Amino acid sequence: MKKILKYPAVWLFFLFLFGYMVLDMSQYHKTFSELENRELAKRPTFTLSSFYNNQFSPKYESYINDQFVFRDQWISLKSRAESLLGKIENNGIMYGKDGYMFQHYTTADTQRIQTNTTYINEFVQMYPQLNITVGIIPNSYMIYPEKVPLGAGQVDQTQLTDEIYQALDPSVKTLDFLTPLKAKKQEYIFYRTDHHWTTLGAYYGYSYFCEQNGWEPVALDTIGKTEVEGFYGTYFSKTKLYNAVPDTLTYYQIPVDEVSIDGEPVDGLYDKEQFSKRDKYAAFLWGNHGITLIKSQNNLRKEEGKTSRILVIKDSYGNSFAPFLTYQYDEVYVLDLRAIPMKMSEFLAENTFDDVLILYNFMNFSTDTNLAKLRY
Amino acid sequence: MVFSSIIFLFRFLPITLFVYYIAPNRLKNAVLVVCSLFFYSWGEVKYFPIMIASILVDYIVSLVIEKNRGTKWICRLCMGISLFFNLGMLFFFKYTNFFVENINALTGAHLSGIQLTLPLGISFYTFQTLSYTIDVYRGKTVAERNIVNFAAFVTLFPQLIAGPIVKYTDVSRELRSRKMNLGQINDGIALFIFGLGKKVLIANNIGSLWDQVQELGFANISTPLAWLGILAYAFQIYFDFSGYSLMAIGMGKMLGFEFPQNFNYPYISKSMTEFWRRWHITLGSWFREYVYIPLGGNRVSKPRMYWNIFIVWAATGFWHGASWNFILWGLFFFVFLVIEKMGLLSHLEKSKVWSHIYVCFFLLLSWALFAITDFSQLGVFLQKLFSFSGGIDWIYYLRNYLITFVLAAFCSVPLVEKFYHQVKKVPVVHLLLLGVILIASVAYLVDATYNPFLYFRF
Repeated sequence: MKKILKYPAVWLFFLFLFGYMVLDMSQYHKTFSELENRELAKRPTFTLSSFYNNQFSPKYESYINDQFVFRDQWISLKSRAESLLGKIENNGIMYGKDGYMFQHYTTADTQRIQTNTTYINEFVQMYPQLNITVGIIPNSYMIYPEKVPLGAGQVDQTQLTDEIYQALDPSVKTLDFLTPLKAKKQEYIFYRTDHHWTTLGAYYGYSYFCEQNGWEPVALDTIGKTEVEGFYGTYFSKTKLYNAVPDTLTYYQIPVDEVSIDGEPVDGLYDKEQFSKRDKYAAFLWGNHGITLIKSQNNLRKEEGKTSRILVIKDSYGNSFAPFLTYQYDEVYVLDLRAIPMKMSEFLAENTFDDVLILYNFMNFSTDTNLAKLRY
Repeated sequence: MVFSSIIFLFRFLPITLFVYYIAPNRLKNAVLVVCSLFFYSWGEVKYFPIMIASILVDYIVSLVIEKNRGTKWICRLCMGISLFFNLGMLFFFKYTNFFVENINALTGAHLSGIQLTLPLGISFYTFQTLSYTIDVYRGKTVAERNIVNFAAFVTLFPQLIAGPIVKYTDVSRELRSRKMNLGQINDGIALFIFGLGKKVLIANNIGSLWDQVQELGFANISTPLAWLGILAYAFQIYFDFSGYSLMAIGMGKMLGFEFPQNFNYPYISKSMTEFWRRWHITLGSWFREYVYIPLGGNRVSKPRMYWNIFIVWAATGFWHGASWNFILWGLFFFVFLVIEKMGLLSHLEKSKVWSHIYVCFFLLLSWALFAITDFSQLGVFLQKLFSFSGGIDWIYYLRNYLITFVLAAFCSVPLVEKFYHQVKKVPVVHLLLLGVILIASVAYLVDATYNPFLYFRF
């Protein structure tokens, strides 16, 4: 007994390691982490060949890590330790002023940008009958440079976007989103904890697209809206900052006749169940799917006897944007190249469009490898 | 398996220690061998046979030497076999591709290299088994008859993959019979936790700065950021390496072994000579004992002595990695050690400020040489260090890492030990400190965004 008292560290240490191990081995396994917004690793099945080929051990280690008891609490503890150390970056995400988070983005893949630009040009030449517009959406750090930590050395998207636009085929119309978004920077146009624009930001993007075409955009106050509190976005999921300020997500009750995804009808524009989960942005158009079709009676430019159509080729930024287009077109086709279920050429042979809008966020445009599918 | 991982801390270590402690004394070494072999094979099971061969060759060879003391040619032959086997393995796995590439570059040949990952810790355990056979050959120790004891010496998991380089004579007594006591285990736990903290809390944290600098590209950074980056690397490699050694020494104590010290505040040195008495001590003494002294050491003519030093430092550099920059890194120290030996040393030892500036400045340069394997990149980086290029990028990184730098600097000097002695006087505070470091380290391991293993080259 005396010895136990003399060396408490020994007993505490072993109790901690051993007790925690037993606790860890006896707990229930989760499959998805809401905090980190990702699937957790599952126990890999042991086979002699996977062990021999060194495939088992790394999988087993990430399984142990992912299923560690109180993982979320440990992560939050690390986040607190990080702020004690005065860190302003975790996992590639910087903490800016006023609760804004930004991806630390110091080098753009100019090779990929050039390749993707070439793909668009090839697409333009393949379908000369199409009326094509390209819009590159900037990231929040371009709109709020004063909130970015000094000296972070972020990529200047203004110049690179200009270069993309200049390299595009002259028949393509382009949308300089930076100017209209900067003009509205006092409003809540970008999420603080997520990389997307807010629905309001998307609306201003849409208004700008209308203005460029000489149309009157729908007035926001004529549409009913719902606000969803407590949105912790993708930036948060990477940093897991313990005192992050959550965002508010707004969606508009835009009336529709029919929404279908890859031919299957769905109930409305939004997957409302998603609003109660972590990744709330995934509610817009039910996430990223191949071909989404929205039909409505909203068209403010309605011509009797004619059905106007637009094709939006987009990344996830387009999901909150596309619903507004129902006020300019009878049918809005939303196409995600990452999930397209058929060849582009087959799709365009079956459908005709008045306009095509290629809408990508700058960072996605500089990394996405799916634009190649434009040419198939 | 690496020490700084959840699977090691919450699976391997508790199970191993539990089985080890309840096993009867005569079986403890067998438990160690089995657990260590599992530790070694985890993640790279293909090298299990190499480890077994390593054990068998030196075990048998040394026994034969012992039995045939009188017959010189047998002893020599056996010693030759051990040298050939150990160095041969090291060269085959670690240096084949280096030589193939250089021969190809030199002669325009198209020899193809080998597609093999380096067996974990091969540079460490080949040196250990080699030292054993050499010591038996020289009659400094008797050969180990019990193969389990010998296997325990070779495979002992705490020091297997990243040192310290434990010589057989350091632990031969403990291998045969050791008495464990709670006081030793208690000390071991404290050392282990400090080692873990050094690696996970300081090395990983500050190391990501150097990583970011590399990602930015040396051509795109400002001069202050270049200096900040190499300073971060200097701290990273020290805390990573010494943290690993400390964990090994701590676990050694938990198992009843006393391993030699490996680092002793190297960055407070006043000369490069002193630095190498404080940095990776077991490697330095290995080279002194098994290379420098057999070559004649300093009991030879001056030119011969300098030649010996040259050999030792080229080899030391090459040991750290199969690339020219490591050889250059070794020779960099050769130059400074020779200059110091010729007379600079006495001046440095008298100086209080200049000696430290001299050591820190040239050490930072040496780390640039160590960290950057590509010579053209090294050129770009050195240019950044010395030809001023402005920018505000350093503001961001300094702000992000400032407290970590201060913490690292504090833990690099003996001041931290004075502080620790004060803490130790109040057992509750001591316990609390250990608890905080352990818990924080686990938290950083659970959410590990950056946890590199730096010794894959060794």
